[in-house]
Amino acid sequence: MDDRPHKAHRPAQSGSKHEKKEKGKGKEKQHGFNEKAFAPKSGRRADRQGRRNVERDQTRLHVPLVNRTPDDDPPPVIIAVVGPSGVGKTTLLKSLVRRYAKQTLNDAKGPITIVSGKKRRLTFIECNNDLNSMIDIGKIADLVLLMVDGSFGFEMETFEFLNILQSHGFPKVIGILTHLDLIKKASTLKDTKKALKKRFWTEIYQGAKLFYLSGVLNGRYPDTEIMNLSRFISVMKFRPLVFRNSHPYLLADRIEDLTPRELVRTSKGKCDRTVTVYGYVRGTNLRLGTKVHIPGVGDLDMSNVTVLGDPCPLPTADSEKRRKLSEKKKLLIHAPMSDVGGVMYDKDAVWVNVPGSFTRGNADVPQGEGEQMVMDLQDADKTLEDRVAQSNIRLFGTSSQALKVDPTSDSDSESFSDEEEEEDESGLGSSSDGESESEGEDEDEADTPRDLHNTGRSGRRTITRSLPSSSLKEKTDIEYAESDSDLGEDEEEFSARMGKRVRINGDEDDHDIPSDEDEDGEDNEDEDEEDEKGEEDESIPKWKSNLAERAAQNLSSSSKTKRKDWIKLIYTSSLSPDEILLGKKQSQTEETADDDFFQVRSKQQTDDSEALDAGKEPIDVESLKKWEDEEMLDSIRKLFITGGEGDQGEGFNNDGENPDGENEDEDEEDEEDDDEAGPSRSKPKPTSIDPGMSRADALAAKKALLKRKFDEQYDDPESSSKADFYSEAKDEITKQLALNRAEFAGVDAEARALIEGYRPGQYVRIELQNVPCEMIAHFDPSYPIVVGGLLPAEERFGYVQVRIKRHRWYNRTLKTNDPLVFSLGWRRFQSIPIYSLDDHSIRMRMLKYTPEHMHCFATFFGPVALPNTGFCAFNSLAADTPGFRVSATGVVLDIDRSAKIVKKIKLTGTPYKIFKNTAFIKDMFTTALEVAKFEGANIRTVSGIRGQIKKALPKPDGAFRATFEDKVLKSDIIFLRAWYSIQPRKFYNPVTSLLLSEKSKWSGMRLTGQVRRDEGLKTPLNVNSTYKKVERAPRRFNALIVPKKLQAALPYASKPKLMKPQKHMTYLQKRAVVMEPEEKKALALMQQIRALRKDQVARRHEKKEEKKAERAKKLEKEDAKKSDREKERKKDVMRIAGQKSKREADMQEGGGRGKRRKT
Amino acid sequence: MAQPNSLIHFSGHQHLRSRLVLSILSGKHVRIDKIRSEDKNPGLRDYEISLLRLLEKFTNGTIIEISVTGTAILLKPGVILGGTLQHECPTSRAIGYFLEPLIMLAPFAKKPANITLKGITTDEHDFSADILRTVTLPHLQLFGISQGLELRIKRRGATPGGGGEVQFMCPIVKQVKTINFVDPGRIKRIRGVAHVVRVNPQFSNRMIEASRSILNRYIPDIYLYSDIYKGDESGKSPGYALTLLAESTTSAIYCSEAISEAGVAPEDIGLKATRALLSEVEKGGCIDERHQILVLLMMVLGSEDVGRCRMGEPTRKTIQFLRDVRSFFATSFKIVSADPPDPECSQLIYSCYGTGYVNANRALA
Repeated sequence: MDDRPHKAHRPAQSGSKHEKKEKGKGKEKQHGFNEKAFAPKSGRRADRQGRRNVERDQTRLHVPLVNRTPDDDPPPVIIAVVGPSGVGKTTLLKSLVRRYAKQTLNDAKGPITIVSGKKRRLTFIECNNDLNSMIDIGKIADLVLLMVDGSFGFEMETFEFLNILQSHGFPKVIGILTHLDLIKKASTLKDTKKALKKRFWTEIYQGAKLFYLSGVLNGRYPDTEIMNLSRFISVMKFRPLVFRNSHPYLLADRIEDLTPRELVRTSKGKCDRTVTVYGYVRGTNLRLGTKVHIPGVGDLDMSNVTVLGDPCPLPTADSEKRRKLSEKKKLLIHAPMSDVGGVMYDKDAVWVNVPGSFTRGNADVPQGEGEQMVMDLQDADKTLEDRVAQSNIRLFGTSSQALKVDPTSDSDSESFSDEEEEEDESGLGSSSDGESESEGEDEDEADTPRDLHNTGRSGRRTITRSLPSSSLKEKTDIEYAESDSDLGEDEEEFSARMGKRVRINGDEDDHDIPSDEDEDGEDNEDEDEEDEKGEEDESIPKWKSNLAERAAQNLSSSSKTKRKDWIKLIYTSSLSPDEILLGKKQSQTEETADDDFFQVRSKQQTDDSEALDAGKEPIDVESLKKWEDEEMLDSIRKLFITGGEGDQGEGFNNDGENPDGENEDEDEEDEEDDDEAGPSRSKPKPTSIDPGMSRADALAAKKALLKRKFDEQYDDPESSSKADFYSEAKDEITKQLALNRAEFAGVDAEARALIEGYRPGQYVRIELQNVPCEMIAHFDPSYPIVVGGLLPAEERFGYVQVRIKRHRWYNRTLKTNDPLVFSLGWRRFQSIPIYSLDDHSIRMRMLKYTPEHMHCFATFFGPVALPNTGFCAFNSLAADTPGFRVSATGVVLDIDRSAKIVKKIKLTGTPYKIFKNTAFIKDMFTTALEVAKFEGANIRTVSGIRGQIKKALPKPDGAFRATFEDKVLKSDIIFLRAWYSIQPRKFYNPVTSLLLSEKSKWSGMRLTGQVRRDEGLKTPLNVNSTYKKVERAPRRFNALIVPKKLQAALPYASKPKLMKPQKHMTYLQKRAVVMEPEEKKALALMQQIRALRKDQVARRHEKKEEKKAERAKKLEKEDAKKSDREKERKKDVMRIAGQKSKREADMQEGGGRGKRRKT
Repeated sequence: MAQPNSLIHFSGHQHLRSRLVLSILSGKHVRIDKIRSEDKNPGLRDYEISLLRLLEKFTNGTIIEISVTGTAILLKPGVILGGTLQHECPTSRAIGYFLEPLIMLAPFAKKPANITLKGITTDEHDFSADILRTVTLPHLQLFGISQGLELRIKRRGATPGGGGEVQFMCPIVKQVKTINFVDPGRIKRIRGVAHVVRVNPQFSNRMIEASRSILNRYIPDIYLYSDIYKGDESGKSPGYALTLLAESTTSAIYCSEAISEAGVAPEDIGLKATRALLSEVEKGGCIDERHQILVLLMMVLGSEDVGRCRMGEPTRKTIQFLRDVRSFFATSFKIVSADPPDPECSQLIYSCYGTGYVNANRALA
């Protein structure tokens, strides 16, 4: 310690801190919460406050949604890193991976799964700048890290991606601003952050989280910032999204080609491939037998699904007793497409990355995992055969002796050889596969230490993967048959034949079915009704003897009946329903099936051609005869509410009693019951048996039950009333989920997969058939492979009606019959929509163009998606498209096999003969048949005279008679307004972007204009379509002539006034005027005065004009000056802008960044 | 262009209806061949043709191809349309034959169904209109299909003449509810309809009397209605029948029916129906074996949750149905004894994980 005095505190004299202090100076500091301050002052206010609180509570509530993702062992959360190129995505990904797994990846590609906590795993995936990838990632990401270059601002891709997210269900988004270190000035930085945050908030929601990452250190972002980000990620909660909650899906983190090499070779790599994809099941349960869609590839059939051991398991309760995740578990990372530990899995090979020269010997150099693996492979000193011979495999745990391999019997040795060999056997032995399998095998090592020589490896990856016992391919058919060998013989045969099948627990009960047949004679007639016909002769005399006993036996169903394993009988046996019901021997059918290729048709196999597909079985009169017996009738009394306690076991307490007497009893009881509540109905009745203790016990039990019921109802009345709709719905959901979990908990894995499919969270391997070879040939790990499960409805095609709105940032209108690329459901495809609007709920009227700022309907042919599924549409997916690429968004409304869209059509014709209100019209139709079709249709002239088509005329063809409400003119055009129904073109073109070698270069159907432009063709010109000058002869109207007769009859007011002008001069015109001298003088004076005045006005006007011109000149001068100044200013601005852009371009070149599109 | 939907292949004329229904619901194409190919009268019967026509009317875009000999059909299903429809059923089968598949399809149609079927309302092979109305439709209520679900018997038509008419109205649903029905409860009431057409109306009373002589001993809540149709409403042929149903506290329904036979007294018919009812009651379970298919289908179509139901052993049809369901919907049932410790228990619990079938035909808003 040095004894220098500490520096004294110097309060800030300026700056924000000083201002803050200044502001707070006047106020007194408050300590603690002042209750009085927030108490309502009036009752009115208290009321209002209460209301507000309640309302606020309601806004908190969301529609209860079932979360199909299991709470225990959920699949990893998918975190997508999205942003334009050069923004720092890979750096962030590497930083995050290093933060979690303490490993530096050189080549981070494809999904990277790591364990982030005791209950959470994360899958990171980087999204490249291709729109196709953005669409696919947007559909599966749970959390999006949206990266924005802070020094540049938002780019078009960011907004496009956000709009894609919006239409497919919005996952959580965290914004991340990078390159903030490029902004040097603190105030600019502050302003930039503020502006970007504001824009980001308007786009997502107010208060959305935005992170700031400063510069890069050692190729990573600063550790503290990454740690903060990882903390945010770890506490993030996810609400289930509707689409993902109803579809199974998978983000493939590994892909392999299983096609036989020979086939690939012979077809020169052009054959359809068999491909396996690996990944965690997400969403809902994945079922074998449904189709899957890989966006960018197409619909594919799953031929096989296998549950594999989790490559990146969560710490289990036993392994991890601590509160925190241990460091060892943290190292777990699963990223087959990246280069973890120097090993990279390619589509058909495993690459081991070795630094420097690859020699054995130098053991002092730390070896990567892959390197070590290769070394160890070289260490193998024995062949596989030797190893197998040496191995000590025991069939059972209790077996005293290990199995010996008999070299002569090949088939046996196969079944016991380890997995690697099996792979080779089945012709799947690509090197990568072998590797992966041996890796899976490795996972066992944690539990069972093996001889190192046997595995052929001295060391193993630091990664440990535990392997559930029931998983992987250990249950291949041959082994399975062996494991069942303790069952009956036919059983074994059967299962061997059926191959990989289900076994349900409880094999102890699993007796031979034939045994039923042996006992048929003795018991249960109702079980096999068919037999009864045959047995009739015997059973008739029999049935009357000791009926009561048999009834008793029947009801409690004899103890000898063997229980059938229905699941196996129905689903895995090939027995016909009849054989199952009658309990036919399985072995018999097996034998016949096995022995001969040709079979003699047995009687049972042929359908009874007259057997009806009837709803009800005919009533069997014989079996009803037992009900003639009183005892038999009494025996089912307990099945009625009045029948007393009787549960199934003690059914016959009332045997001895007289039925009539009992009836009375019951009646009395009923009356009592009316007073009491329902539950007391099953009251103990005074029976003749069981007096004393047991009765007292029963009574006590009954009382306790009643008391409990009472307590439930009365003690806590709030418990029932408290539950509102919301919590009720939530309770129901949790209850159902608990049932879902409980119901199949005991069933073994394979049977479970058969019944409920593969649950979310399981790591599976899906084998896909007939995959286009281009997918493998042009595989690129930086493009995500999403495997989306399809619902049965979604495999179909039809006309999809959607509500669509052109995006307001897309700057062109959309035209009917122009192809559009839709992203709907899992799919991306091009189709041709027809836009329409609802015309007064009468018809769907076609629109040529989408309306501005308004929704309209669109109908297109394509794969069906459920109503209420959102979609977005693009005109072009290419990266070089200028402007905003999302051209429309919308939602699916309806699905049908036909579309009802009409467009208006006007048929025109001209009158060629006109009577009073009737006219003959030609040129509208060409045949009389057409006219007949339109009889009675409304027609109209251009001037608005309405009419009707009456009947076709014999000549000329297509002419008809029509009546109008007034006389039409010969020059009138008559038209008929009709509706013509149109169907959208059946065009569907999936966007197969993953099949291309250049994945962003997909181009679909081009527009006609585009094709012409590309091909250099001229637009064909129709001569009739050219515009010509319209020659309109001046119209001559004839004079109106009112007939004399009519004129005479008209009232005076309406009569045409037909007076001729007067020809003779009137007296006033004719006479001459002579003035007096005074009058003359006065007139002259007046004339002079007028002349003077006129002159004055003229002069004044002249002067004004002069002044006006002067002023105009002045104004003009001023304007010229002003415009000069403006020009100068503009020049300045442009110069500055030009410099800026030049600087930017320079900077980009320097930073190696790609093209930017500034918004 | 459209990829070819997976084609499912069947042989034989049996189980035709359930296969057609499954095909239409799942949208998978189905091809059925060897339809009575060995028979003297090969190919489809008239009622099967009529059913195909009805289904074609009930859907939009369905393509049905029948081979020249009529021994093979190919169905490419369209969307279920619903709406108002009339159909004349041939007199070779009763209306129940045609209505059963419609009941399975109608909840998933585009529009609420309103179907008028004409033909025979009661015969010995198929569900009579009374059973459909009082037993089958209440089964749909378990799955949340209830509002506006109705079957009106406008006219009755006995065999062989027919002349009956029923109107079936069914609402549409987005998704059927999942059931968990494992408690059969105990019988709380018995109802019945004794209908009489073109014979002495006294017959119905005689049937009721006979039936009551047995049933009265069990519970007091018994109402047997006598339903007499006269004149125009009574169809073309004489006949009578007694339909009984017993309902339990948990609304499990057991039913039986006996129809008139030549030379048998109405009392005997009444007794036959009553005894058949008792044997149904004795069999127990939550669903009687004739409705197994309907209930199992609805369970398969339920939301992606576990549905459970307690029933008796599967019938012949049910077994084939379960196999068909697996090929259409890739889902199978877990079938275990209802009471595992009790070796005598013949009741089974059927549980399945619903496929999450959503009515895709239903238009939005």
